[in-house]
Amino acid sequence: MVRTHPVEARVCTALHRGVFVPLLTSSFSRNQGIHEEMLKDEVRTRSYMNAIVQNKHLFKDKIVLDVGCGTGILSMFAVKAGAKHVIGVDMSTIIFKAREIAKVNGLDDKITFIQGKMEEIEIPFPKVDIIISEWMGYFLLYESMLDTVLYARDRYLEKDGLIFPDKATIFVAGIEDGDYKDEKIGFWDNVYGFNYSPLKETALSEPLVDTVEIKAVVTDPANVLTLDLYTCTTEDLAFSCPFDLVSRRDDFIHALVAWFDIEFTACHKPVRFSTGPHTKYTHWKQTVFYLKDVLTVQQGEKVECSLHNRPNEKNKRDLDIKIQYRLETQDPTRQAEGQCLYKMC
Amino acid sequence: MVAERDLPLRNGSASSSGSDSSSSASGEGEWLDADQDDEQEAVAVISLLDDAVFPDALSMIAHCKDKYGFDFLAVRERLQLDFHGTVKLINFVRQRVHEGAEVPAEISQADLEDDRYLKPVLDDDALILCLDDLPETGAAAAAASASASGLPSSGVDASLDVELKKSTAELQAELEQLTKQFTNYRLAVQKTLDERWQANDEPDDVPGAKGGEAKDDSAYYFESYAHNDIHEIMIKDAVRTDAYRDFIYGNKHLFAGKVVLDIGCGTGILSMFCARAGAKQVIAVDNSDILNKARENIFNNGLADVITCLKGRIEDVVLPVAKVDIIVSEWMGYCLLYEAMLPSILFARDRYLQPVTGLLVPSHANIWIAPVSDQEYVADHISWWRDVYGFDMKAMQSDIYTDARPQVLPAQSICGSPSAFRFLDLHTVRNEDLVFEAPWQTTLAQSADSLDGFLVWFDMFFSTKRDDPSIKPDSTAQAWAAAPPAPSDGERVAFTTGPFGTETHWRQGLLLLDTNKVKPVVELAGKVITGDIAFITADNHARGVDLKVTWGTDEDSKQTQKWQLH
Repeated sequence: MVRTHPVEARVCTALHRGVFVPLLTSSFSRNQGIHEEMLKDEVRTRSYMNAIVQNKHLFKDKIVLDVGCGTGILSMFAVKAGAKHVIGVDMSTIIFKAREIAKVNGLDDKITFIQGKMEEIEIPFPKVDIIISEWMGYFLLYESMLDTVLYARDRYLEKDGLIFPDKATIFVAGIEDGDYKDEKIGFWDNVYGFNYSPLKETALSEPLVDTVEIKAVVTDPANVLTLDLYTCTTEDLAFSCPFDLVSRRDDFIHALVAWFDIEFTACHKPVRFSTGPHTKYTHWKQTVFYLKDVLTVQQGEKVECSLHNRPNEKNKRDLDIKIQYRLETQDPTRQAEGQCLYKMC
Repeated sequence: MVAERDLPLRNGSASSSGSDSSSSASGEGEWLDADQDDEQEAVAVISLLDDAVFPDALSMIAHCKDKYGFDFLAVRERLQLDFHGTVKLINFVRQRVHEGAEVPAEISQADLEDDRYLKPVLDDDALILCLDDLPETGAAAAAASASASGLPSSGVDASLDVELKKSTAELQAELEQLTKQFTNYRLAVQKTLDERWQANDEPDDVPGAKGGEAKDDSAYYFESYAHNDIHEIMIKDAVRTDAYRDFIYGNKHLFAGKVVLDIGCGTGILSMFCARAGAKQVIAVDNSDILNKARENIFNNGLADVITCLKGRIEDVVLPVAKVDIIVSEWMGYCLLYEAMLPSILFARDRYLQPVTGLLVPSHANIWIAPVSDQEYVADHISWWRDVYGFDMKAMQSDIYTDARPQVLPAQSICGSPSAFRFLDLHTVRNEDLVFEAPWQTTLAQSADSLDGFLVWFDMFFSTKRDDPSIKPDSTAQAWAAAPPAPSDGERVAFTTGPFGTETHWRQGLLLLDTNKVKPVVELAGKVITGDIAFITADNHARGVDLKVTWGTDEDSKQTQKWQLH
């Protein structure tokens, strides 16, 4: 679920290396473009398909709620898996397409699509057996629909009901990214002969959604957040976590990279996928946080870090993120310590 | 930082003493005078230690003392700080607060040693402007009275006297240098404040202020330009930025000593090109918050005395001059006219551009259409919906045919001769010319094996002359730029956004034929297709455009399809 709502479709984080994004998001990129991108993300769609269709024993004759259903693909998977009835909810007008699509595929008697905010609508069942949702945003939490999923859980899910997926984990690692940091951040030092340093500061404070090559990863990954969707609350979305990054080799660290893993543990054979740099491309890519310093690390050395995340007070969909780091070494010339503030907006 | 100012900054120009800088005041005398007539001054002094804002420095200082036990005046007294020392103290504290570091309980002289603290941390630090209003320190008072009485220092060893004089002279030189820098800064700050109160006259739409307030299209439009990324994309679009740079730097004779208006200045890059090319004055206007960055950029590059930044819509802002010699602007949207910024340029042209001699940069544009054959694209983006993980999603296809897609297509997908259907001489074009219907025609290639849609793009021309007969309605950017100009014409520059040039961030507009509705053209090879193309103002989207294309061969009846670019 990355930005299905037209008003929120902003150019801000949509920049990829070497790919131009629209000047203004035209209705094309707001409508089919997003859904095409999400459906064509095979890691995402195939994982959901496997988790649902391979577990007919869990779905048979069950009432299923699809939160943020989009084109309705997950709802249709659930019907294929034997669900008695599926309710798909989305606030976007894509719901009209979802209805048409379900009809064309002869599944319209099994799926009820409702347009509106989860918090404001009434669904035709007092309780549901299973909640399915693809709610994840960039950095897992940016513009995510998790709060809506948790609302639906508390309001509608049966006591022993299932959530697909039910586990999400954020990881962080250090990366060598000198060339691109130069291009991305250093660029503002000399723009056609002009000093653009004010934009450099902004560039440093904006995490970059981008793909990172595995060979750029210098340290072991560290886990900074694990969410159990059965028990977590919206308060858990503001968190602070200390962690250590241990260097695998002698190298430089220009930035930290964050990604997330998703698990469907209810499945007979657990289904999981990762959005990390070590595995296949997903439309979530990874999120890169450039550091002010360049850390020079030797194999086995430890960078003590902490990451603090909280929704912005003024705009809850934006994230304020603080990263602190400290490299303690025998060699005083390489010692480094600092903190950076970031805003995902 | 503390950008949300609810306080009226009306007449925020703190004191008039900084305005006597020689270079820039002349052209805008009227404007500055108008501001200064009103003696009542209101400033917004931002607290040293938090975000609170105060009408004057003393109440802010009292606030810091009461709330945090930080006595600014006492520190100044203890360290015997002069004017520049006090500026350093302010910036030292602000820097610490900005970094989230603690402000030391005992600030020492050593803390303030670094000259970087002469550089303001806050862009428009009213506190620094108010310094004169603060009570004098004992040291300053003593120095003032000593210099006033002119008492010679008696009983001092002669050589020491020489030493002292020398060092005094050095210090004076340094002081002069710093004062000069500071005056320049002060001027910039003052302009900023002046501009802010102008901008504040407009009802401000503060996002998220009350919630539930519907944003209009226009607010969304300007907001979308407030982020870095979009400016990075535009600046890094070398086809675009190089063209402006090459024209401006290649024709310095046109810009030297001239007054230039930059509409939608963004980060200020075009304004700075013009300033470097020798413009006497550049007025940079933008209604997006990016203008704050433009101001900083311009200041950091030492061009603040040439470039004046104005925040607001060009239709609303008050220019400090009656007429300008040149209007430079990068206003082009998808398919040229999406975003509908051109009417603002035409408004400014009619209102501000010197009627006979004034020049628009760029000066001409034409729009092209060509037939497309690209079965691979059709398979990837259209047929694909028929089998999505085993489901038929043909419902998703209908929008594919109703929306114009911003897309870069390879040159080989063009299956017939391109047709230039609209030529805009920007010096003479009128608003009503932007909504039009025009004929077009193409001869399909021998190799054409399908007609899947049409591609629309534009070429931009930068001429040194208002009337340039060498630019024809069907000139291509490549051919015109390559042709040698007359020696008197200077550097000519042009670029294309089409499939035969380097990719730009405008891409092209792809109009796909709705195969469910239109009759395919058969036996395509070598056929001539004629028709019309219309640009229509979108009904429900102020900055959108609808495109309607009619096409057919001589023997067939004409077919029509409409696309929206919203």
